[in-house]
Amino acid sequence: MAKVYTGRDGALIVSNVAVAKVVSFQVTANLETLETTALSDNLRSYTPGVVGYSGSATLLYYKDDSGNINTAKILNRLFRAGPAGVVSTDDVDLVFRWVDGADNNDIRMTAWITSASIGAATGDIVRAEIAFQGTGALTTVTIS
Amino acid sequence: MAFPTLVPTSRSFESGDYPVKTFKAQNGKEHRILYGSNRTNMKLSLTYANITDAEAELFLDHYADETQGTFKTFGIDRDTTKGGWEGNEDAIGAGTHGNAYRYENAPQLVQVRPGISTVTVNLIGVL
Repeated sequence: MAKVYTGRDGALIVSNVAVAKVVSFQVTANLETLETTALSDNLRSYTPGVVGYSGSATLLYYKDDSGNINTAKILNRLFRAGPAGVVSTDDVDLVFRWVDGADNNDIRMTAWITSASIGAATGDIVRAEIAFQGTGALTTVTIS
Repeated sequence: MAFPTLVPTSRSFESGDYPVKTFKAQNGKEHRILYGSNRTNMKLSLTYANITDAEAELFLDHYADETQGTFKTFGIDRDTTKGGWEGNEDAIGAGTHGNAYRYENAPQLVQVRPGISTVTVNLIGVL
């Protein structure tokens, strides 16, 4: 059945748990191209370099009935006490999903949270903004 | 094995000079003595960006096996090494002035990604 996907179909899943109150997310694949244009050429030419994945997401800061904060597995990767900073085990498993009934269209990756911000403003809902950088190959790709 | 026939992605050239000795008298007047009739010491720097490792290896093999490093001189191909130059061929060459090129130093290789490298070679014209 024909379908146009909308924001209602999107889901962000962190470590196999869907994150509540996601406002938006964006995933970008980027191919680095290496220029091979020589001095005698009139047109530019390129060879493929390495591929990388990155993106961002915006979440409402939300506490559910059980007292769990929806951003817990994300913000604590950067907002934390102690001198250790970010360590090699702080990568996160992210799934970006577009749902069509039982049909899931996924992009799954291991990523590092590279920035996180949260604030408060009069008359506005508190939002958390995160950016991430994928590392290695995508684990699952079921979009086409 | 000749110098690899690839067109560089960038080239820089210094024209060299005639062997001139300059003296300056106490009154400030300059005296110059010309010791030879051929211009020499021209410098040609060639960069081959993002070429395959097999192509990059040609430069390493030429340097190591053919010229014995910086020891032997050699000629370069007009159509490729000087590719893109639309002036007279001899203007950026060495042969017209009785020179031949040799490596000024070892080729520099930078691995960019698997199978792709960038090579820079510095040549100097000598009599």
